[in-house]
Amino acid sequence: MHALKLSLSLTAAALLSSAVLSQDEGDSPKTHEATALVVIEEAPTYLIQANEVVVAPGKTIKNGQVLVKNGMILAVGETVTAPDDAIVVQGETVCAGFMDAWSSLGIDPASVAEMGTGATTETASAVDHFTQDHFRVEARNAGVLLARSQVGKDASIGGLGAVLATSPAGAVVLDDACLSFTCGITRSGRRGDVFDRISEADSIGSRIASGIPYRQSLVEYSYELAEWDKAIAEKEEELADDFKKAKKDRDKEIEKAEEKGKEFKEDRYKEDKRPRAPSLDPDKAVFARAAHGEIPVIVEVHGTQELRALLASTADLPRLRLVLLGATHAMPFAEQLAARRIPVIVRPMAAGQPAEPEFKGHDLGLAGRLEGAGVQVLIGSGGSVAGVRDLPVLAQMAVAHGLSEKAAFEALTIGAARAFDIGADFGTVEAGKHAELIVLNGSPLSGRATYVFTGGELVEL
Amino acid sequence: MSLLRNRTLVPIAASFLFGILPSASAAASDTVVIEAGRIITQAGDDIIDGVIVITDGRISAIGAAADIETPWDAPVMGGPDYTAFPGFVEAHTNRGMDRPNENLDVTPFLNVRDSIDPVNAYFEDCKRWGVTTLNVQQGNNTVVAGNGRIVKPVGVTVEEMTIRPDFGYKISLAPKGGKSRATQRQTLNRTFNDLRDNLTNMVESAKQDEDFARREALGQGRERDADEGEGRAMLGTGWTVDGLEMVKRSSIDEKVLPLLEMVEGRHRTFIYCGAPMDVQPAIDFATMNGLLGTATLVVDDSCWKAADAIKASGMSVILDSNMLHIERDPVTEEETETFVPSVYAEKGIPFALTSANQSTNSLWFQAALCVGYGMDRGAALAAVTTTPADLLGLGEVVGSLEVGHAGNVLLLSGDPLDMTSWVEYTVIDGEKIYDRSKDIRNKHLLYGVEPRGATAIESDASETPSDIEVDGVDKPTDEATEEEVTEEHADGHGDDHGDEKEVEETVKKD
Repeated sequence: MHALKLSLSLTAAALLSSAVLSQDEGDSPKTHEATALVVIEEAPTYLIQANEVVVAPGKTIKNGQVLVKNGMILAVGETVTAPDDAIVVQGETVCAGFMDAWSSLGIDPASVAEMGTGATTETASAVDHFTQDHFRVEARNAGVLLARSQVGKDASIGGLGAVLATSPAGAVVLDDACLSFTCGITRSGRRGDVFDRISEADSIGSRIASGIPYRQSLVEYSYELAEWDKAIAEKEEELADDFKKAKKDRDKEIEKAEEKGKEFKEDRYKEDKRPRAPSLDPDKAVFARAAHGEIPVIVEVHGTQELRALLASTADLPRLRLVLLGATHAMPFAEQLAARRIPVIVRPMAAGQPAEPEFKGHDLGLAGRLEGAGVQVLIGSGGSVAGVRDLPVLAQMAVAHGLSEKAAFEALTIGAARAFDIGADFGTVEAGKHAELIVLNGSPLSGRATYVFTGGELVEL
Repeated sequence: MSLLRNRTLVPIAASFLFGILPSASAAASDTVVIEAGRIITQAGDDIIDGVIVITDGRISAIGAAADIETPWDAPVMGGPDYTAFPGFVEAHTNRGMDRPNENLDVTPFLNVRDSIDPVNAYFEDCKRWGVTTLNVQQGNNTVVAGNGRIVKPVGVTVEEMTIRPDFGYKISLAPKGGKSRATQRQTLNRTFNDLRDNLTNMVESAKQDEDFARREALGQGRERDADEGEGRAMLGTGWTVDGLEMVKRSSIDEKVLPLLEMVEGRHRTFIYCGAPMDVQPAIDFATMNGLLGTATLVVDDSCWKAADAIKASGMSVILDSNMLHIERDPVTEEETETFVPSVYAEKGIPFALTSANQSTNSLWFQAALCVGYGMDRGAALAAVTTTPADLLGLGEVVGSLEVGHAGNVLLLSGDPLDMTSWVEYTVIDGEKIYDRSKDIRNKHLLYGVEPRGATAIESDASETPSDIEVDGVDKPTDEATEEEVTEEHADGHGDDHGDEKEVEETVKKD
């Protein structure tokens, strides 16, 4: 079990190295906890004044104020008590920073393209804060302050995804945000036939399901071992009590043997066999976490056949938290998705945008129709690096085709944060949360960002 | 009586050897005296008109000629025209082996001993360019590589060349061929996680055996025999497995043992970073596994960007041979040049330079380049002598000319950073192992002198029967003719030898 380390650094000198090199030991459930930021005494306090504070989707405060220090939101309200030396930042709107639920920003490109990833491959181990800085800057300028990035983007198992911050210093916000799969997509220019795609979908379900007996065997073993330990301890006590007698008997036996001129043979000692420990399997340990809903499972899947197969193969895993990616032909399954509370991360694409065959039939109305059917919609830029900055525009395209503005805003903020288990720390403008905020000159989706607060820094745009 | 005989015979024997065989090695004598117009000691001020006395391979005295009493009977090398300088120390190289890397990811059970080729031309070049100490490690295209060793470029067997056997391991954070950074790190993490699991299992099974044996003895009414020899408890600053003393070290697999000893801090590690993004993970990896005290970072030219993290870790670096990092801004296309060693010098991070190739861009070229880019001369020279020596734990042995240090001395024709300087003599452990006036390859390349043997058949042409001279026309048909040819060659050698003496004189005049 290891704790999540979050290091949004304030200055390079104050940067405490985050233990990105985390290890997966065993299958013990992992808690998602964010550690406090580096506290710098002389860090300034900021007072944000806005005509509209968008606290959460559908909840706003007119003429409100937000107090920020050390990268944390201290207070939100119509008027908040601010120290005299607080720096005042003004704007039309202030809202939570956007999060791209489907990107590969901030990681080594070769790791994104890698096809040999497995369940224990960690996106956090390919984080690169040194190159491609301009993409981070562009994303930040568009108000995208968090991105769920993924190595092994097109591999059948991409491994553990991470949530990264686009702050100037860069940071890993969460190093085990999800376990990622793809199903029936084009890999290296080839897409399998329908049978390949269905069998891929089946194998995702059975792989995840294999984690359940694995964990069960570990638990059973621990109980069996405790029982055996207890029994054997009692037995040893008995043996110790009987030792004098046993020794006398043995001495007699030796004497006898000598008299007869035979070789003395020790009595055979018998005891209950110790239970055998199941062999450790780090992959299955990750699948167990997924099967038990400790981390969400993201599956990129588009066609109806593989969607049907995937939903069927995961139907017996009640605790699994499945999230669909792309899901071009999801509408026939909308009812089931809504009933099983499976969110869909859509990728609204402009016409003529090059796309693989699985996107054939893509239309911008999908997000709105899914919303109408009661499915939770999230929005991603499609696993790209350069496209992250387009996220608000993509959301607007979905809005233009029927998605409600509230749902679009939710998709970019608290919806995405909740889907990846960081909803308690990000996604809304509430006291106690991280101050990943955008100050805009208009409404959240159509206004231009004038300031962003990220990683404890105020960045003027 | 015998004592007297020894005293008289040694000098006689020595003079006999030197008189008759001018090329005979100075090692025949216990003591060698090196004279130089200037000695750059790398341990304080230069010495003008100095002498170095080397006894039994080690420097026994060094100082101004006026202050040092030299044994009257010791052979003398050098003279007022020469500059003496400590032999260069190559902090890290994968040259001199049949190939630098293996196909397998994790190979700590391999040893470069089995790969070093003592007659590799590289070692000849080392003598020629004054590199007297080399840390041979496997290449960077690995996850965990085999065991390295420190050698000198002298000897016909690896054992003869060895200064420190079984020295250090290479670990790479940059992706090995066919991997990406994510999968490279996955393999590396799993290697050390497996190590811990393995050791834990061994301890567990040893405990079980011991418990069973105790119960068995109780049940049988038998007093137990005293315990046999046990293993050692695990050391290490990163993590340890309790109870390892129950496991005999000799029972641990050869694939596991080197890794265990690494974590225990018994081996040096050289951790390669191929990009700045590898540096923090490398430091984290070293910290987690208790390698901080024994690891040195081997960094590529772009890693200067992570210099602050390196500084904070307290680790030293071995630099890539490419010292000028050029980067193009992806937006403005503007090029930025960074002279990498200067960054480390300014941050106060100990750094060693490495050769770009085995001859022309060797260590003194690299040091001179540093000075050309404005680095302090002392810092540049230290980066090819004392710093690498310290990095290899040989600071008390090589890298500077001091009493007690190995007698590794270069006699240069001028300043070590002057592009017109030559290594005239290379002395290792008091033994003259290179003499430029006898360097056949140099003479061939610079003065067009054909090496002995290369022209043997041509020069003997007039004396050779015409029917066997032309290859392929009339080949010798019987054994008798072949023998004749061999004899001709043998004669030819004698003639050549004479020619070469003349050549040597010409070279010296030049």
